[in-house]
Amino acid sequence: MSLIIRRQIPIVIVFVTAVLVMTDYFLKIPGTGPVVRDLQNWGVILTAFTLGYGAVNLFYLHTRHISRRTPGQWPFSIWLLLMIVVFTVVGVTYGATSKQYSWMYNSSYFALSATVYSSLGFYMTSGVYRTLRPKSVESTLLVITGVIALMRNAPALAVSAPILISMDSWISSIPTTSAQRGIMIGAALGAIALGIRTMIGKETGFLGRLTEAEKGA
Amino acid sequence: MIMKEQVKEKTILEKLEDVPREVLYGLLLLAFIIPMLNPIGFPVPTSDAVKKWYSTIDALPKGSVIMVDFGYSGGGEPELGPMAVAVYHHIFRKGGLKVIAMSTSIDGPLLWDKAMAEVKPEQYGAKYGVDYLHIGYIAGGETAMAAVGKDLRATTSTDYKGSSLDQYTVMKGIKDAASFNLLIVYTTGGDQSEGWVRQWYTPYRIPYLCAVLAMMVPTMLPYQKAGQIVSLVSGAQSGEMEFLVKVPARGIKSADVITVTHLLVIAFVVLGNIAYFGKKAKGGG
Amino acid sequence: MAADLATVMQIWFAALFTVWIYSIAFRDNVFFKFAEHTFVGAAAGHSLVYGIDNVKRYGWTPFTQGASLYAVVFLLGVLLYTRYHKSYFWISRYPLSIMVGLGIGLSMRATVKAEFIDQIISTAGLKVLGVDAWTGFSNLLFIAIVLAVVYYFVFTFPGIHGGRLGVISKFARYGMMAAFGYSFANTVLSRFNMIFGRLDFLMTEWLPLPGAMIAMPIVLILMVYAMIPAENRPWPKPT
Repeated sequence: MSLIIRRQIPIVIVFVTAVLVMTDYFLKIPGTGPVVRDLQNWGVILTAFTLGYGAVNLFYLHTRHISRRTPGQWPFSIWLLLMIVVFTVVGVTYGATSKQYSWMYNSSYFALSATVYSSLGFYMTSGVYRTLRPKSVESTLLVITGVIALMRNAPALAVSAPILISMDSWISSIPTTSAQRGIMIGAALGAIALGIRTMIGKETGFLGRLTEAEKGA
Repeated sequence: MIMKEQVKEKTILEKLEDVPREVLYGLLLLAFIIPMLNPIGFPVPTSDAVKKWYSTIDALPKGSVIMVDFGYSGGGEPELGPMAVAVYHHIFRKGGLKVIAMSTSIDGPLLWDKAMAEVKPEQYGAKYGVDYLHIGYIAGGETAMAAVGKDLRATTSTDYKGSSLDQYTVMKGIKDAASFNLLIVYTTGGDQSEGWVRQWYTPYRIPYLCAVLAMMVPTMLPYQKAGQIVSLVSGAQSGEMEFLVKVPARGIKSADVITVTHLLVIAFVVLGNIAYFGKKAKGGG
Repeated sequence: MAADLATVMQIWFAALFTVWIYSIAFRDNVFFKFAEHTFVGAAAGHSLVYGIDNVKRYGWTPFTQGASLYAVVFLLGVLLYTRYHKSYFWISRYPLSIMVGLGIGLSMRATVKAEFIDQIISTAGLKVLGVDAWTGFSNLLFIAIVLAVVYYFVFTFPGIHGGRLGVISKFARYGMMAAFGYSFANTVLSRFNMIFGRLDFLMTEWLPLPGAMIAMPIVLILMVYAMIPAENRPWPKPT
């Protein structure tokens, strides 16, 4: 009974929901439309609830650092948790699109996010210098197509040597698109297989932590 | 007796191979800063993809409705922000078009505010709620896209500030995906750019213009080749769009810097390989 | 006046955070750690704010307007957090299974057409004959790479990539490497554009502010000092 409630019923819910959504799309059975529409809206709200997971996990982790006074870490943990609280209080009190919240966002999170994303450019430069070597046929192809594309991406070079535009266009439309298409078809087959396996209960990753009894089953 | 260690003198090739990363980063920073301080004014080529973006919007008849997904995060703003701004200039200057924006990224609404502050729609006579609107961030990725496509009014009844949609004339007649004539997506997420193909193009056949980060372009090319995306551009091509729209801004400004930094990277590839293969030829490790 | 001060402060904070984050490219230091923890905390807070906003706008508003069934959704949403409980974690599987089922249904129903059938139709529609030699060759190469790459990923049982059949896998790898070289160049372009965006902000919005030109070298000196290992610098000493 316990296994049925903890494991089988959630798998049945996955199956029924997925079949309902697909039936509405392919067969257009009257009555399924409004049900699927409501389910989709429920999905939006449930996803919104999951946006709090990050904050909860961080609270768990960093309150442990603070209580244990982890050397070199605990003052930063206090600051991190303070940031979560301040952002939440300002956002909920004044509104997520208010001037006050926008100020906080632009002065901290936006600048930090943009900079973190961009800082990888430095590491790439070091990597390019030290590791981009045509040592085999595969790496030679990578270096050749990479250098042609780099030259085309430099606007002044592309204007002064239009052949680069044609070469880059061929590389993008033939080997790149074809290889990516092959990867996409393979991934689509994998996704379909994974979806079917999840629906029939063969893949139980979404169940999360399994008890010993569930592992045995 | 103090033993002095015999330190082997490094050859030029070994020194070249072991250039400290601080030197490389320093050179890269100089390659950024020098052209920014002394703009050269390199020309910017206009690609077919950007021209197609421009002409697709241009060809829309008056009264057409555009759905725009402001789905990029703060990290992608330096690249996609200028493209979004240039396209909004084009749309507002053309006039007669309705633009409904939504966001599949939590940064979307605030970045939309940022873009609108740069565009200044009032200079074209465009009014919020009459010509354009933002319905807010909707969580759920593909679930949100499908929900809005199936029945926008059932999914949300307010704009991004919480005001009722019923008061806005721009929302008159807007019900679901079929109410829209064009979909424009700016995103830093592969799930989003691909999700719109699955949830709007495939069921409703809404023409789709896609702008992603340059690094995401290869993964989206198969969709363009299959005709599922009308035109695919990267934010790095925003200078080209600014050139077409005749509103030079951050995009065109970056052209000089991108040229010089790319030349530097090519030089690094060459030097690194000279050092490696030169050392190998001399019998080194 | 207040708005100007707020904007100036905003630019100062954003500029300092930008410089501190970039410092990690050289050495780890306390300023980077501070900026890093600010980023993580702000990200989590920002997600929480929009999560609450979405629940309010798409859940609470319809509920107060008569959609009483949404009470069930709120209950399910709260139950998502039982995953942190030692004994009752399994309750969170119920709302999660609705989300998973929705996700599978929505993506699978269109994946078959968008990423399988349409892609195959597009590939099969390429002309090899009746076009000029270069176009014919290019299209033939395109079809060959697609087939080889699909073969490479779909067939994974032992021995399939060895012997004479190994030439197909090799050809697939060559095609993918050419694609990855193009991807690499685009990634460089992307990241450099982002770096330009931040440096442009520093140079056009921060440095023109009063005091910024004086502050910048001080900030850089403090950062370099913080990069010195704790045992080699006079203050602060390691604990």
